[in-house]
Amino acid sequence: MPIIEVDHLSKEFRLGQLTSLGQALRNGASRLLGRPMAGRAPFKALDDVSFSVEPGEVLGIIGHNGAGKSTLLKILAGISQPTRGRVAVRGRVAPLIEVGAGLVPDMTGRENVFLNASILGMKRAEIKRKFDAIVAFAELEEFIDTPVKRYSSGMQVRLGFSIATSVEAEILIVDEVLAVGDLAFQRKCFDRMEHLIKSGGRTVLLVSHNIRQVARICTRGLLLDHGRTVIDGDPVEVSEVFFSQSNHKIEAQALAAAGRQGQIVSSGEVELEEVRLFDGRGSEVATIEVGSPLRFRARLRLARACRGIEFVVGIHRTDFVYLTAAGSRDVLPDATFAAGVHEIEYVLPNCPFAPGTYSFRIVVVERNGRTMFQAESLRPFTVRSDRVVALNNSWRLLELPTELRIDRTSFVFNECRQDSPVKEGAA
Amino acid sequence: MTTVFTNIFQYRELIATLAWKNVVVRYKQAYLGLAWTVAKPLMMMLIFSLLRTFVGIDSGGVPYPVLAFAALMPWMFFQESASEGVQSVVGNAHLIRKIYFPREVFPLTAVVTKLVEFAINFAILIGLMVWFGIAPGPQALWVPLILLYTMMAALTLALFGAALNVYYRDVGQMLPVLLSLLMYASPVIYPLHLVQQKLLEQRAAGEWSELLYTLYTANPLAGIIDAFQRVMLKGLPPDLGAMLPGMAVVAIALPVSYFMFKRAEADFADVI
Repeated sequence: MPIIEVDHLSKEFRLGQLTSLGQALRNGASRLLGRPMAGRAPFKALDDVSFSVEPGEVLGIIGHNGAGKSTLLKILAGISQPTRGRVAVRGRVAPLIEVGAGLVPDMTGRENVFLNASILGMKRAEIKRKFDAIVAFAELEEFIDTPVKRYSSGMQVRLGFSIATSVEAEILIVDEVLAVGDLAFQRKCFDRMEHLIKSGGRTVLLVSHNIRQVARICTRGLLLDHGRTVIDGDPVEVSEVFFSQSNHKIEAQALAAAGRQGQIVSSGEVELEEVRLFDGRGSEVATIEVGSPLRFRARLRLARACRGIEFVVGIHRTDFVYLTAAGSRDVLPDATFAAGVHEIEYVLPNCPFAPGTYSFRIVVVERNGRTMFQAESLRPFTVRSDRVVALNNSWRLLELPTELRIDRTSFVFNECRQDSPVKEGAA
Repeated sequence: MTTVFTNIFQYRELIATLAWKNVVVRYKQAYLGLAWTVAKPLMMMLIFSLLRTFVGIDSGGVPYPVLAFAALMPWMFFQESASEGVQSVVGNAHLIRKIYFPREVFPLTAVVTKLVEFAINFAILIGLMVWFGIAPGPQALWVPLILLYTMMAALTLALFGAALNVYYRDVGQMLPVLLSLLMYASPVIYPLHLVQQKLLEQRAAGEWSELLYTLYTANPLAGIIDAFQRVMLKGLPPDLGAMLPGMAVVAIALPVSYFMFKRAEADFADVI
């Protein structure tokens, strides 16, 4: 028998201002007279969601901001009621929704343990029994009689997490709480979560933006988008779908940004007319595969004829780390450019960047070094990798053709994924 | 209806803990601490006593300061329970949005918190009685029941008001004004027997007198304050005749108020 059953669940919110007392009275009068009331458009936070969870399952719920994850958890925790549909939760629920929510600054750590734990539904005797363990886990033995307002924010979160995870319940609802404290404590929290999840066969619902974490500790994933279930199943598969969805979103944003023409500082002598990006086959694109050719074309209009100027084209990251630059002085050291339109082409035979979003930059410099024109964030584009398992993006800037060799005698072959030893290498 | 009591019983520890928190937080950084609880009724008592020297209120054989203090205690308990109860749901918005337990815990906690202050004031009353040489009789055993009734009267207002306050914060603004008016319609400054004298004996309003008296006592506080003064200071049992209309009002209004609170409760987290 499933421990949680969600059946055609919908949740609607009314957007806009809460009606004033006067409006409410007028609405009430209209209702009595049978006239239409002034309404507001409903917003569907959850739209016909159905799923069920068996005891012991660890369900990771992922989705973009506003996908309905938190609304779903709130309904499961009984905080909010569904507009339509049915929810059955069979067991005690411990909601770890935003740890430390109930800490009272004026009270000491000790007082807060008792207060917060009873808010979370623990009995006094149970709190007394667990008190030392709670304090020890939070590493706050010395400060337990200090008012919480004197705590650092990390200490507060540690205390909150420690109390919240001490609650004994069949169902654990966790909303983005693992990213707390310093690295050492995060590690500890993570271990505790894994322990809670894997021991005792508890049912866990985990909402997280850390998709790797979901893929790692969950037995099942649920991807929500605009209140609807996109995919429900194997966590690795679900996170793949999420990643590709994210990429589409980033691309869409980049394209929207491209319409704004980036940031341009010009002396008036140079004007940017057009920027376009092509792939190796010559079709206009916004996404480039790692290692494939890239062709960038810009049209600039010069107001007057200029001698000895240099055109520089480069690529930068969204955080303005300049990655490449190529100048025209190498090829045309002392040319005179006539007034009118000039076309510049910048070619990268195999795009070496790690997956992410990048933009172009164009600078026009006079012979004496004066900058006549500078444009950044031009034609944003994303670089995509076809790797099966995504590599942590913060581990590298470039993705160069590399080979990683591992001595085949040093590991037991059948414990590895079939493609792992040879194909997974990258710089 | 039984769920009401099972809920209260099941969440009694939480209510106690939250009430303890309210008391602790309130006086944590105040130098005089809980002394502030008694400051207000004591000052009011002094002002009333001063006022009495101008207008002359017949206190019926009991020293007026004690009589006034014994009226102020249940009145303030009611007034503060009701107004804090009304604010309690909105005031705990952060908890409402984060965690579920039956929401009536908040108004109940507000009332229980005030019970602590009532207990402190009770000690002061005993002190005053000793000073004026009044000994409480066995009738004082009525006090817990009177208190329970006062709590029910306060909850009648608090539950309904708290739910409405979630939607319209006007309620929280309006209530103190209404309550301060209600004080003059309750036998706080003057004792109930003056009202009885005027209406029942002198029949000041002619044929309307009885009706007016019933209307006056429909305010539960009329009966409560009088009963408290009688059992504590006069050694008399509560005047049930003066209490019945108020009791009828509470008996009807409290379930209605609770029902409306529970109806609104489901949407608190979304609206607050």
